[in-house]
Amino acid sequence: MSESMGRDLAGGHLRTWRDGGGRVVGYACVLTPVEVLDAAGVLPFRVKALGCSKTDRADARLSRFNCGFCRSCLQLALEGAFDFLDGVIETNGCDQLRGMFENWQYVAPAPWFHYLKVPHVVTPESLDYLEHELRRLAAALERGFGAAVTDERLIEAIERRERIRASLGRLADLRERPAPAVTGSEALSEVIAGSALPPAVFQELLDEAIDRFERRPAPPAPARRLLLGGAAIDDVELVRDIESLGGAVVADTLCFGSRGVSLELSEGWRDAPVRALAERTLRGSTCPRMYDELPSRLELVLATAARARVDGVVLVHNKFCDVHGIDNALLRLELEKRGVPVLALEREYGAAADRGRLRTRTQAFLERIGGGR
Amino acid sequence: MGTTDVRAGLFERAVGLFGLIDGMRGVPSDESIEGLLRLLPPDPRRNLAAFFEPHVREAGVSFLRMVKDWMFHARDARAAGRKVILVPFNFPPELVLAFDNAVPLTSEVLTTIAAVGLEGGGERYWEHMMGLGLPDHICSANSVELGSVLSGIDLVPDAIISAAPGGCDANSKIHELVSRVLGIPQLLIEKPVDDSPEGHALYDVYFRQLIERLEDFLDERLDEDKLRRLLARANRCTELYWELYELHKPRPCPVPNIYNLFLAPVRFCLWGSDQAIETLETMVRTSRRRLEERAYPAPVERARALWAYTSYYFDVNELHGWMERQGYTFLADVLDLYHPRPIDLRSRDSMIDGMIAAAWSYPMNRQMGASSMSGAWVRDVAHGVRDLDADCVIFCGHDACKQSWSVVSILGDELERMGVPLLVLHGDSWLKTVTPIAVLQEEITAFMETRVVGRRRGAGRRRLRRRSTTEGSS
Repeated sequence: MSESMGRDLAGGHLRTWRDGGGRVVGYACVLTPVEVLDAAGVLPFRVKALGCSKTDRADARLSRFNCGFCRSCLQLALEGAFDFLDGVIETNGCDQLRGMFENWQYVAPAPWFHYLKVPHVVTPESLDYLEHELRRLAAALERGFGAAVTDERLIEAIERRERIRASLGRLADLRERPAPAVTGSEALSEVIAGSALPPAVFQELLDEAIDRFERRPAPPAPARRLLLGGAAIDDVELVRDIESLGGAVVADTLCFGSRGVSLELSEGWRDAPVRALAERTLRGSTCPRMYDELPSRLELVLATAARARVDGVVLVHNKFCDVHGIDNALLRLELEKRGVPVLALEREYGAAADRGRLRTRTQAFLERIGGGR
Repeated sequence: MGTTDVRAGLFERAVGLFGLIDGMRGVPSDESIEGLLRLLPPDPRRNLAAFFEPHVREAGVSFLRMVKDWMFHARDARAAGRKVILVPFNFPPELVLAFDNAVPLTSEVLTTIAAVGLEGGGERYWEHMMGLGLPDHICSANSVELGSVLSGIDLVPDAIISAAPGGCDANSKIHELVSRVLGIPQLLIEKPVDDSPEGHALYDVYFRQLIERLEDFLDERLDEDKLRRLLARANRCTELYWELYELHKPRPCPVPNIYNLFLAPVRFCLWGSDQAIETLETMVRTSRRRLEERAYPAPVERARALWAYTSYYFDVNELHGWMERQGYTFLADVLDLYHPRPIDLRSRDSMIDGMIAAAWSYPMNRQMGASSMSGAWVRDVAHGVRDLDADCVIFCGHDACKQSWSVVSILGDELERMGVPLLVLHGDSWLKTVTPIAVLQEEITAFMETRVVGRRRGAGRRRLRRRSTTEGSS
């Protein structure tokens, strides 16, 4: 699988799926359990803003005070880039994402639409609520697309996605090696591309890519190892820029990266697969939109940083993203208290004008922690 | 911590300001007001002058006394063995007031007090927040007060009730940060973004759990009799609120513009207190008198504006007062439209149910915390336009509010269908450094004179035709 596929919104495999009569449903938030869509026989397509170079149409609906990622996604939607979608799922990942979906539905409604409401706190009652919400989603998919979402089909779908998660775990291991066999930009490209592929195709291409990475000659150990954390980053260029300066991104906790991979299912999940998905979604979430889970987010960053032996942490957020902007400030305070060097970067999503500034700051950070070129 | 020189906390300075009001008895004379204002530095002098204009003085003084009592109560809390609970504006303070061992402090109201009453506004506390590395796009509404708290020299609350999850990311994240940095408990209550019975049921559970956590934290059981007495007074507040609401309807509007500035703190600080009743009674009595006299501050009421969101608070004289002098009525903003309902006092459960319904219907909860942000907001604004006979709508464009900014285009489209012009401004409601009041006045004037005055179009006669943005075809 090549990196270019990650930039192609409706790549070859997606077209093949559509040509074969397959249905595609778009979603944007990592908290959307794609297994339910798999079980309904539709292809989950994660909405991204790849290749978006302007936001003029979206700016007329949202505003310059909304994050560039949401504006860019809306821009593509209004330009018709997502017209191939048979339906759209809104998730309340953040306030601005909700606004993006509401405008999308207001201006150019998708043929099928569903709103999946995910609680912001983890309690027995919120788990019950989310389980009910997932059953509503399954029922809505059944009504919209005809395929019954049975427990058997759901278990099958979960098992398939678990195999993909296991492969992504292997990919992470390769990346965390002393001499990483895969770069951060390559790893991110795989995950992003996979969010637009039928699971069987993704599995096959991912395993092929991992084999290829393993076989190729290992590069020299990098001067400085970094963990990249933060917001909705689907542009591989940012990671490539950091790496071009000598900072190997050997781990991440990004929304489009490892965040979805780290979620684990509870034991005995086959007995109650919907409940298991609800539990994993809420308990396993390391997204800062969960408002009482800072300790687990911090623990994840610290554990990942230790395991990957990083020299520093880069925390990125898109301008106007409150959820990550504030969380990054808090994480920075906590990490620095523990002696972990942190670079907090605020960036304009997708803006080429920001690149030079970000490169300069990254370079300065790498020099501060003792490396870089 | 931080880089800004913060030598005195917001709360401490505000208490000092209200110390000047403490000695005021009755309705002060022009001479007394002049003497008081001379004691103040330029910013509070200019702003507080608006509270003492002859036509609003009686209510202005009553309101300031109420706020003074609220602040002094918090100042003296620890000495009296009480805990200070920081609450956000979207949570009913009567729940905290119902405990003997607790005092509520509303962060957004404190920020507003800084914007109105402190020299330099709340800017220095905001800068302290920025010094901690927080992004400059967070909301000043609570960041100013919490910046002061984090400076280490101001009153630190014993706990924070965080009621914004579901309605506002920025607010929720700031509460989480402050709780963590100060090591004080965060009592979370999420507002499900779901208007279905399931959403209501979940909120019901959350609210009751919050009461239990408060009881544990305060080591005090919520007393049914005390709650009943308090909510009986809250019901009186509700009656007075609706009387005042009705008084906004006649043309010219007999309710002075600045009364809208009083209404929100009454709800957000001391709802159910004698002081709140007294303030509301004064507002109703004076407005009724003005109705009988057909009194209006300008020769003629030229336009009636509903503010779709918040207002600006850093120069109330040059906003509320100035609008009135131009003949532009400030009917209400969304913070005033909290739609209180009488609470059934028969049992502990019925009273808790009433508070839950009130919390659900709070500003922001009922719009941005709804299943559809745009849907609920449009419905509320459209209803306000029709019911209060507004000629136009103004969106202040508080730049930190990404939720409202993300759907204001839908509001504009729907208002256009109704034939109601919408002015979209941009500024920070609490920080004067973002957009100066003179610029805002110019924009309001241009809008009013070209789109509104003399062009009344039968607002609200046309029906909304907006498409649903949630719960669509699934």
